[in-house]
Amino acid sequence: MSISSTINQITRNARAAVGQIGGGSDSRFFHNTSKKGETHELREELQSQNKDKKRDAVKKVIANMTVGKDVSMLFTDVVNCIQTANVELKKLVYLYIINYAKSNPDLALLAVNTFCKDANDANPLIRALAVRTMGCIRVDRIVEYLCEPLARALRDDDPYVRKTAAVCVAKLYDISPDMVEDRGFLDVLRDLICDSNPTVVANAVAALSEIQETSGQDVILITGSVLQKLLAALNECTEWGQVYILDALSRYEPADEVEAEGIVERVTPRLQHANSAVVMSAIKVVLGYMELCNPDVVRTLTRKLAPPLVTLLNSEPEIQYVALRNINLIVQKRPAILEHEIKVFFCKYNDPIYVKMEKLEIIIRLASDRNAEQVLLELKEYAQEVDVDFVRRAVRAIGRTAIKLERAAERCINVLLELIQTKVNYVVQEAIIVIKDIFRRYPNRYEQVIAALCENLETLDEPEAKASMIWIIGEYADRIENADELLDSFFLDSFLEETPQVQLQLLTATVKIFLKQPAETQALVQRVLNMATEGTDNPDLRDRGFIYWRLLSHSPQVARAVVLGEKPTIADDTFALEPALLDQLIHQLATLSSIYHKPPEAFVVRMAVPVGHVTGGVGEEYDDDLEYLEGEIGVIGAAKGPSKQAAGSGNGGGTGGEVDLLDLGGVDEAPPATTGGKDGGLDDILGGGGSNGGGTAGSSQANTQVDRPLVCTPEQGGGIGIRAALRQEGGGIFCDMTFQNTGPTPFQVLAIKFNVNTFGITPASPQIAFPAPVPQGGATNYVLPLTFAPSMVASGAPPSLQLQTAVKNMASGHVFYFAIPYDLSVLFAASGQTDRAGFIPAWKAIDDANEVTTLAGSLPPALSSPDAVVSRLGSRHVAFVARRPVPGTTQESLYLSAVTVTTPPVHFLVEITLQAGVASAKLAVKSQSQTLAPMACAAIEGLLRN
Amino acid sequence: MFGNKECRILILGLDNAGKTTILNRLQNDSDEVMQTVPTIGFNVETLQYKNIKFQVWDLGGQTSIRPYWRCYYPNTDAIIFVVDSADVERLAIAKQELCAMLEEEELRESILLVFANKQDQKGALNASQISEALGLSNLRSRQWSIQETSATKGKGLFEGFDWLSTAILGGNTSA
Repeated sequence: MSISSTINQITRNARAAVGQIGGGSDSRFFHNTSKKGETHELREELQSQNKDKKRDAVKKVIANMTVGKDVSMLFTDVVNCIQTANVELKKLVYLYIINYAKSNPDLALLAVNTFCKDANDANPLIRALAVRTMGCIRVDRIVEYLCEPLARALRDDDPYVRKTAAVCVAKLYDISPDMVEDRGFLDVLRDLICDSNPTVVANAVAALSEIQETSGQDVILITGSVLQKLLAALNECTEWGQVYILDALSRYEPADEVEAEGIVERVTPRLQHANSAVVMSAIKVVLGYMELCNPDVVRTLTRKLAPPLVTLLNSEPEIQYVALRNINLIVQKRPAILEHEIKVFFCKYNDPIYVKMEKLEIIIRLASDRNAEQVLLELKEYAQEVDVDFVRRAVRAIGRTAIKLERAAERCINVLLELIQTKVNYVVQEAIIVIKDIFRRYPNRYEQVIAALCENLETLDEPEAKASMIWIIGEYADRIENADELLDSFFLDSFLEETPQVQLQLLTATVKIFLKQPAETQALVQRVLNMATEGTDNPDLRDRGFIYWRLLSHSPQVARAVVLGEKPTIADDTFALEPALLDQLIHQLATLSSIYHKPPEAFVVRMAVPVGHVTGGVGEEYDDDLEYLEGEIGVIGAAKGPSKQAAGSGNGGGTGGEVDLLDLGGVDEAPPATTGGKDGGLDDILGGGGSNGGGTAGSSQANTQVDRPLVCTPEQGGGIGIRAALRQEGGGIFCDMTFQNTGPTPFQVLAIKFNVNTFGITPASPQIAFPAPVPQGGATNYVLPLTFAPSMVASGAPPSLQLQTAVKNMASGHVFYFAIPYDLSVLFAASGQTDRAGFIPAWKAIDDANEVTTLAGSLPPALSSPDAVVSRLGSRHVAFVARRPVPGTTQESLYLSAVTVTTPPVHFLVEITLQAGVASAKLAVKSQSQTLAPMACAAIEGLLRN
Repeated sequence: MFGNKECRILILGLDNAGKTTILNRLQNDSDEVMQTVPTIGFNVETLQYKNIKFQVWDLGGQTSIRPYWRCYYPNTDAIIFVVDSADVERLAIAKQELCAMLEEEELRESILLVFANKQDQKGALNASQISEALGLSNLRSRQWSIQETSATKGKGLFEGFDWLSTAILGGNTSA
């Protein structure tokens, strides 16, 4: 009964209503629904005394409403048509009122009298219609008048009216729960459960269920007599009514075994129903009550439940999917039900992929020693299909079967080896991953296959497969003669480029090899430890490297005990649910919850607060919000900060508290540490430190370039002083920087990042690494290439010719902020020329408001001739277009243009007027960008002066 | 020529003046009086009386509904203003509502019939007293009349409508 479903219903009703009445020809009302002056016309027609004209007018209004045109201004006129003996007209007007009452709550009041009259009409259809419509209106002021007619309708002689009124109570509860409780409507609904008409019973149950959901209170009190009524109605009411009744039964807890078995007996016939919703709900009831039944009955029921479930798999794929998700739960709860039915879950070649995946899951759950042969044949076949995802899942399934069924493990291994022989790259990789798990599960049993695996080393390109293979090599180093060589030649060269998952495995595997063959591999382990601790920025890897290092240098015995210690056996618990959650979900069978495999609280937004919290005051809600917020912040923190990485390594390999440090999962999502640490800080750069004192005396060799302003004093930079200036070369933008070390500690690696800025300028690389550390008192130059990134553009902010910069000293972790000023002319591209013909139209196309003029006086004497100006500006990428003398004066105008190298480029058109013999110029700059034109004007003036 | 004359009439007045009862009575002339409940909204009936088809709108008189009367003003031929003659205390309010209504531009052409209702009740004022209390004699440029009625007893209603039909037809011919 959500708003959207109400609206859908309205639309549907509208189409149906308009469609029915005129015998199909009413589609004409949907044409021409957008004439001008139509409202006035409609209003007149609505007021017409001619019934046909009036009816047609209402139809037109409804047609307009249905296509989404607002006709709410006709509210009074339409409402005035409400009192009519014509049922069709009345229905249409009601429809209109339902739709627009919300927007005209006051005027809706005018309809109340008619509702009340209609609720007393001789025709039960009209009585029901009136009550239903009032329930749909959801306007407080109407609601108070609804109670009287509703109370009467609930006790109406006609079952149609009663069943409508029952649903109306649920709607009223949604708007005003107090009113429902005060007027005792809940009791009336409970009485209706014992009604003589099954549809009324079903609707009463549906309404109570809905109220139960919104209120969180147990409002359906099923007593002995109620139970009998429900069971009686179950056989007679509509299919959807049956679903409601079955759902209500599933919430009932039978007093004893006898009662439970009695109910089950009455429910089991529903298992044969054609409607899959009825079947699922019946299964839910039976499964719930089975807990109470005696073992013999349970056995019989187990047999009875299989056929309906199997039948569900003959429906459309969508229903199959829903059934499979539910079956997944059922199989976990009671595997016996479908233990002989595994064949129906074998995939058909034309099953949609989502059905195949679900079936695969169930096949694994149903696999047993008895059917292992069959299952393996089937899985092997899947592993040769074309859909890559499915194939991968099938290979995994073989591995999981091996882990689950000890006796089938060997056969599984053989199948996997056969698959490896196919040399299909992703099959091989997937097989290696699962074989690693099999090794974990059955240590020292199948190592003879390692040789076959090693043949495929060069084809591995997926991190997980690589990591698995490396684990195998490390674990069985003593059985692989050339384990160290394998690692060395296949993986170690690219150590620094591998994903963290692979790096961690390499580290652990190398240490294992070293512990097993210390003599030959000392150099190897040294190298890997060096790379892990010094060559990378991943704190996980570094920390693990240090741990191993210290462990090895402390005592090889302890290291052996830790690293080569016995590992706990693994079991296949992929996608397995906690027993408590499983029980909860079994109670939610045939709902969305059982498809998501999540309890309703986890995804239903407007879920009732559990009983007991209902009366909680504002303060409590506030607390909840706070907690929620804190939770959110916690989550964000975990995702961003290094704590996630730490957690990832803690869980590694599913070994829990084991010190093996074997890590097979989770780490690959960890962000690279270089950006992780400073993301947060950059958001709130306040642009401090824009000082650019011209000539602080420096003694180092790097200080020769005086044109680099000091952008960061050593005080700001924690001992690092920085001069920086932007420069263009060959169309690329560079930042020439000079770093000066006034502090005691040398630095070598810095991370650098710009805040979002006007042109989206950003460093091409986030890291500045000097070839050698900058010693105390030393200084060094660095050229930082820059690029333009759309994501770095500060949209909406006023343009600024400053780059707010954050630098992190990777050695000390110190982060400091400063701003690098730059001149717009740096960004002028060499290709800035506009052709003569295009210049004037372009000039005229730009609004005069975007023109900026300035008078640049006392220019250098060298610039007194136009030629000198043209040549000066030309060398700085402001290209000459044309020149002409200003008629009647001694002045001459120059036309030039410039364009930036940014993406997107910004064009500037320039007019410079010079007077012969006077060292001053009048500058006019136009640009499509109103904010940038003044900057360009200033930049060009600057070019003229320097 | 008069057979299909249609006219639109509003029955207005304070709550509990007897508007709905009058409408029921006009429609269904039996001695049995239907119980009414306060009209939240409106009732509308079509009556045929003396060659005239009256479309009669009975609007609720509660304070909350009075503001919406104006929605019904356009094209109104006549207003029947019903007064509870025994409710002396609220005559002032009734006068106020009546005056405000007659000020409306849309009702400038409408004729006015006042029903001094509930004459069967004790202490009911007669037509001239009501007329005075409402200040009807001050009305200018409006055709009006007052009629003593008792809706429950069915008295005076048709006399009122006689005047109404004459006035409407007369207005029609003179125009």
